[in-house]
Amino acid sequence: MVWFGFAKVNITINITLKIIKNKLNPDLMKKSVGSNELWQSARRVWTAMFLMLFGSLVCSNMMAQNLTVTGIITFSTGEPVPGASVMVKGTKNGAFSDSKGNYVLSNVPSNASILVSFIGMESQEVNVAGKGQVNVVLIEEAISLNEVITIGYGTAKKRDLTGAVSAIGGEKITARQNTQVVSALQGAMSGVTVTRSSSAPGTGGTIRVRGITSIQESDPLIIIDGVPAGSINDVNPSDIENISVLKDAASASIYGARAAAGVVLITTKRGARDGMSIDYNYSLSMDLPTKMPEYADAPTYMKALNERNWNDTPTGGEYTVYDKDLIANYWSLNKENSDLYPNTDWVALCLKNYALRNSHQLGLATGNDKSKTKISLGYDDVDGLFKSNLSWNRATIRVNNDIRISKWFSTSLDINMKRTESTDPMFSPSYQMRFAAPVYAGIYSDGRLAGGKDGANPYGAMMYGGTSKDTRYQAGGKLSVEITPFDGLVITGIFAPNYNFAKVKDFNKQVSYYTAWDDLSSTDFLDGTNTTDLKETRADSYSITSQLFANYAKSIANHNFNAMAGYEGYHYYYENMWASRGQYDLIQYPYLASGPGTFKDNNGDAYENAYNSYFGRLMYNWKYRYYLQANFRYDGSSRFHKDFRWAFFPSVSAGWVVSQESFMENISWISLLKVRGSWGQLGNERIGNYPYQTTLDFNSPTLYMGNTIVPVQGASAYQLAVPDISWETTETADLGLEINFLNDHLRFTGDYYWKQTKDMLLKLQIPNYMGYSDPDQNAGIMSTNGWDVDLNWNNQLGDLNYSISLNLSDYKTVMGNMEGTQVLSNNLMVREGSEYKEWYGYLSDGIFQTATDVSSSAVTSSAVKAGDIKYKDISGPAGIPDGKIDATYDRVLLGGSLPRYNYGGNINLDYKGIDFMVAFQGVGKKKSMLTSDMVTPIRGDWYNVPGIIVDKYWSNYNTAEQNSAAQYPRLSRTGETNNYAASDFWLIDGSYFRIKNITMGYSFPNLGLEKVGVKKLRVYVSLQDYFTFSHFPKGWDPEVSSTGYPITKSVMFGASIKF
Amino acid sequence: MRLKKYIILGVAGTVLLSCNNLDLQPLSQASTESWFTDKTQVEMSLNTLYLHQFWPMFKNDFGGSIMSLDEPSDDWMNRNTLIVFTNGTLNGDNSTFVKNTWSYSYKAISRCNTILENIDKAKLNLTTELYERYIADAKFVRACMYSRLISHFGDVVYFTKDLTLEEAYSQVRTPKAEILAHIYEDFDYAAQKLPLTYKGTEIKRATKGAAYGMKARVALFFKDYTVARDAAKSCIDLGAYELYPDFGELFLSKTKNSVETVFGIPRSTEYGTPLNGGAVTAYLSRNITSPSATASPSWDLFCSYLCTDGKPIDESPLYDRKNPFMNRDPRCAATIVEFNSNYFGFNYTPHPDSAKCWSYKEGKLVTNKDSKGSDQYASYNGLTLRKGIDEDWSDDLMADNDKLILRYADVLLMYAEAKIELNNIDQTVLDAMNKVRARAYKVDYTSSLYPKITETSQTKLRTILRTERRMEFAFEGLRYNDIIRWRIAEKVMNYTNYGLPTSLASCKAYVKSGYWFIPGIPDIDENGCPDFSKMANLSQCRELSKRVFDANKHYLWPIPTADIMVNPGLGQNPNY
Repeated sequence: MVWFGFAKVNITINITLKIIKNKLNPDLMKKSVGSNELWQSARRVWTAMFLMLFGSLVCSNMMAQNLTVTGIITFSTGEPVPGASVMVKGTKNGAFSDSKGNYVLSNVPSNASILVSFIGMESQEVNVAGKGQVNVVLIEEAISLNEVITIGYGTAKKRDLTGAVSAIGGEKITARQNTQVVSALQGAMSGVTVTRSSSAPGTGGTIRVRGITSIQESDPLIIIDGVPAGSINDVNPSDIENISVLKDAASASIYGARAAAGVVLITTKRGARDGMSIDYNYSLSMDLPTKMPEYADAPTYMKALNERNWNDTPTGGEYTVYDKDLIANYWSLNKENSDLYPNTDWVALCLKNYALRNSHQLGLATGNDKSKTKISLGYDDVDGLFKSNLSWNRATIRVNNDIRISKWFSTSLDINMKRTESTDPMFSPSYQMRFAAPVYAGIYSDGRLAGGKDGANPYGAMMYGGTSKDTRYQAGGKLSVEITPFDGLVITGIFAPNYNFAKVKDFNKQVSYYTAWDDLSSTDFLDGTNTTDLKETRADSYSITSQLFANYAKSIANHNFNAMAGYEGYHYYYENMWASRGQYDLIQYPYLASGPGTFKDNNGDAYENAYNSYFGRLMYNWKYRYYLQANFRYDGSSRFHKDFRWAFFPSVSAGWVVSQESFMENISWISLLKVRGSWGQLGNERIGNYPYQTTLDFNSPTLYMGNTIVPVQGASAYQLAVPDISWETTETADLGLEINFLNDHLRFTGDYYWKQTKDMLLKLQIPNYMGYSDPDQNAGIMSTNGWDVDLNWNNQLGDLNYSISLNLSDYKTVMGNMEGTQVLSNNLMVREGSEYKEWYGYLSDGIFQTATDVSSSAVTSSAVKAGDIKYKDISGPAGIPDGKIDATYDRVLLGGSLPRYNYGGNINLDYKGIDFMVAFQGVGKKKSMLTSDMVTPIRGDWYNVPGIIVDKYWSNYNTAEQNSAAQYPRLSRTGETNNYAASDFWLIDGSYFRIKNITMGYSFPNLGLEKVGVKKLRVYVSLQDYFTFSHFPKGWDPEVSSTGYPITKSVMFGASIKF
Repeated sequence: MRLKKYIILGVAGTVLLSCNNLDLQPLSQASTESWFTDKTQVEMSLNTLYLHQFWPMFKNDFGGSIMSLDEPSDDWMNRNTLIVFTNGTLNGDNSTFVKNTWSYSYKAISRCNTILENIDKAKLNLTTELYERYIADAKFVRACMYSRLISHFGDVVYFTKDLTLEEAYSQVRTPKAEILAHIYEDFDYAAQKLPLTYKGTEIKRATKGAAYGMKARVALFFKDYTVARDAAKSCIDLGAYELYPDFGELFLSKTKNSVETVFGIPRSTEYGTPLNGGAVTAYLSRNITSPSATASPSWDLFCSYLCTDGKPIDESPLYDRKNPFMNRDPRCAATIVEFNSNYFGFNYTPHPDSAKCWSYKEGKLVTNKDSKGSDQYASYNGLTLRKGIDEDWSDDLMADNDKLILRYADVLLMYAEAKIELNNIDQTVLDAMNKVRARAYKVDYTSSLYPKITETSQTKLRTILRTERRMEFAFEGLRYNDIIRWRIAEKVMNYTNYGLPTSLASCKAYVKSGYWFIPGIPDIDENGCPDFSKMANLSQCRELSKRVFDANKHYLWPIPTADIMVNPGLGQNPNY
């Protein structure tokens, strides 16, 4: 038989066992498949027809001289591969390796090639060359064409896709060793941008699929094992089998109304192999800030404060606050009495040198041909950098069961549970520890708490001000039933409830401090800690998803069809309540019962939403050469008025596998050439729960009743209703090209896309005198153009296996009609014609050097003096420059703020048990603004002077030459409004390159522990986020928020053991 | 295969039967559809109108933005800083306070209009008396809101029913005189139908007296003196109000629902409507808490208080520059913390030599953070507010003083002012003014133990009245409107804020040169306002900030830019 040559392919995970058992499994054919092993019979029929057709066309080459070949098949780790398929190329002569990896093939022509394949590994072709022993080392398959990709309500082989789908295997996620899934996705796929602003324990980041889709909500829809999930972090990264991201409308429109911002499909691991395997992984990491900005020391601060006052009030003299002698002698005074003359390093006071992170992951897989079970347990314990009161831990358990009851009836039952507990200080020192001035003491040398600046002591408040303890429980289940009434048709019914419960205890404690170092009797309370108060919150929610869908596959001659239709219903309910008591006398008892009976308060509310959806998909191809696909989804949502509730979201796509054409046969270096295109519509319904109704809000003013003050209840409508409010619609078109070269060693995928969101919900700016808050209306338009490129190379050199993958993507979002509205927040503008979140501010023209320069120029106010930033006079009320700089006429768009040219990549090396991985990620172009927190000296009248500006600002003490080279404006409070207004003066090149992960591992060969069941032991060391290259000023990480928790880097040690 | 069919049907049926109901209604909110059908619902709608946000006086009321209604005035000082009102940069977009005054006033108006349009739905369930009272209540609030709007913005959009979107976009501004006439109508109806007092079992909202008083206030603002006089007189004639005997105590949180309150709203720490945060700490001194001492009475205010002989400090022989609190009208020390008095258990002294001060609580000397000698952030001009503030503020940094929107003393002085301006000066004018002044001295107005007002010249009496108002109502949110309607803002709001030197060395030099507390005696002008410009040794004081007021535009506030953008037909006020 000839068809094995054709089918050098791999096998879907779900049916591996079958393939191994039934040697001639027709699933070796390239074929779009469903997720169920019962597809098998259907495929047999197709395959038979397929074979009949091709069998007559392809010639086989029969050889005479034969020998018996034996050998051992091993993984690159040295471990034997049981059940690998070994075939003589061009024949049906084949065998499987036994449990020790040995195989025997008789009757092999001496110059024949043998083909070795195994699920998840690259197939290999080896020429026997007359040898009687041929050993083969299999290497892990990179993302390949034959990989089965999860798509909505089914799976498909990558080769058969006509839409833009990115996928990543679970091992890549696990290799990153992140606690949260979202962090592991940073830089992992093209078109998927993950941004973060802190590494606080338990935090992840923000995912954007192909940029921004709506000004309302651009978070992608997260589907875990086919069921909508609240958050991508609901799943433990080590439970993930693979992740698919549906990027274009053709792929995502099966999720219709909620898919506009892309869909992330996560599949968890299931029991697979025969027998039982247990693996356990432990890792320990040390987290420390990537960078921390420096601030001035005490004398520098005092000098600067005096200089600032002198600048602002020249008549006040040069030494208005700190006398000259004091500054000159400060270090010796500090040595004598550091309580009276402190030089506090607040960051060092508040942060540990490093924080520890522990992770335990235990997995158990077992199975036979009737049932399969995968059990995984995970525990992560993450400590924060604060010296106290910051930690996060998570325990997860997941049990996935597959049971085959009969030939036509199977079921699976999954249960997952998660508990997370995070502890945060009621007062986070992140902000003040960076900015507090050094001349105030945090603690006295004898250990007593000092007040910082008059009670503003971030250290004391963090350590003793109480905690917010947030404990969340999640339990989810999924029962699915699959029935195959006859070959080709599979009906699936799914019922998946998900329950969440949250318990939050905010206990704010009174903290007293000593107001003077030499006065034990004088005490006061730190800011925000005047009273001890407790607030307890409980929230519970549930969602119930039910699905019923049928997949039907049929092949007639060269026409291959696959149809799917189904229903999905979803209901979500949320309710919360909280109760509080204030002014506790004692700080030890964080329970309501121990608080005073007065100062009680409580509240609670609830909401719900639901949708019903009908969807369908038709896939067709002719000879795996021409593909057509159409999807639709018809969604109804409770969020809209009856008359505007239902919407239809269609999509179509087509593909042409050019390499299947006969004219391509001779171009052997191109192993695949595919072009594809798609168009479709998607929706966004996440716009509040009852936006079409006018609701009354309750409030409680206090009024007199007689001479008693009583809380009365008030009620009023606050928002104008727009009854016809409805979906936002996103239309996407995508053109894709996939080319594989050199027998798939080099693979390229490129996509260009255009998407436009219409009827975007905008705050309709109604006149304020109407007396209502601005309602939402369907009005806005925004468009995004972008492209994604992925490039992969993998090969082996002797014992060295290596692979390199790179991805690069870019997009630009431009706002269309906004009905005259604009949103300006944090100096970022969203208005018609602007990019989404484009910087908005003045155009600077250097720093004013002389008073003459000031008086002859347009200025923002009369407070502007030499040393302040000069701006360009752009326009005025008459449309021409008016000699004044003002916010209305002289601010302009300064360029986009979103990251452009997002790229990422992986390099993997594997050599005789040593594995090495480098993952990197970066942003090729970005305009970032130095925020006023980062550059303003003595902000708020007492904060410190940023280290980056010391000696680099314009000063009256400088020479004219020094001043003309000054990088920063003069020290001034009256000049703050002018100098730290948003302008291009503060824009910097925000691009960066970060080595996300370097991991080196070693798997011990021949441990001699097989007797006790140990199959494999691997130890590894890993560096995360360790090296970063950017244009940011010293001490600033390119991703960190200027006022938040640091971004951390980590050193990790780990070991995994497999039984 | 029958089993197979059953299972298929079973699965399909179970899933499809779970098809969700999509007609979901809000769970924890009410919907407008079914509202205004009974007494409770109308009452609840009226109650909303008495939220503090609709009657802003302090920082909390609008969720922050300005510290208090007095911040734009010359009574007030915040360290060395100014706000957009006082540094001359006010525009249609840069003051949350302006924007909120506009939008919150209209919010209340639209809620009043909704009540008035829908109350007939509940008519069957109400007695005629209640029905009319509720209408009167809504009209009262609406009139108050429009009064505020035309006082600050001049001509504004005027409407008395719920606007549709289309109507809203095409609104134009109605001349303020026309609106004023409507305001009078609403107040008149309210005065007629509102109760004089409420029963002990009823929620107390607006009263007849409040309607008369608030009408007098808006009439006086627009120099409609006859109307103002008559309305004030009607209020006085109700006989329902008296002056509270103790001026200092009147404003404290323990004084609830006093006989002097014509219109006020209570605050409650217990029920979640207190003053808190910056609205409390800004007024306290450094010894009490921090951050604090950002809101201080200005030197202008301090120097405006008359001496006990009824003369201003530049004329009275009783004024001692070195002991500036001595021989002053009692309201001076009741408003501003007197030096070396017991303030929250500390001996209050901002003197730079007093690095320590006596703690009455601890019975010993403690670090004195109110002194410029030991704390650079101690009150920048040495003054701290006393009025209304006591230990209730410091224990938990929350305070629940009644919000006094209109009190009887104001009605008396409005009556007097209207008559003075009408040049209809008679004994009732002098009595009204003397009653207010005598109360400060805790004597009857017929007594001779206080500087009785006997002046009958219109010009001189006008000066006295303006000084009296400033002494009486400091930090009650009235000063700004007073200097606007008297058209003296262009003068006083262009003065400089002075204060004490900052560093210890320069402070000590200041004291050594004998400048303490204020180097000279300012001239007091015909409006009772001190002018420091000619004062000797002024250069020794610290120039904290220079106020700016442009008479060409600042008498009116700018119309919020956002509304002009959606309805260009509004137009902006002149010179903005």
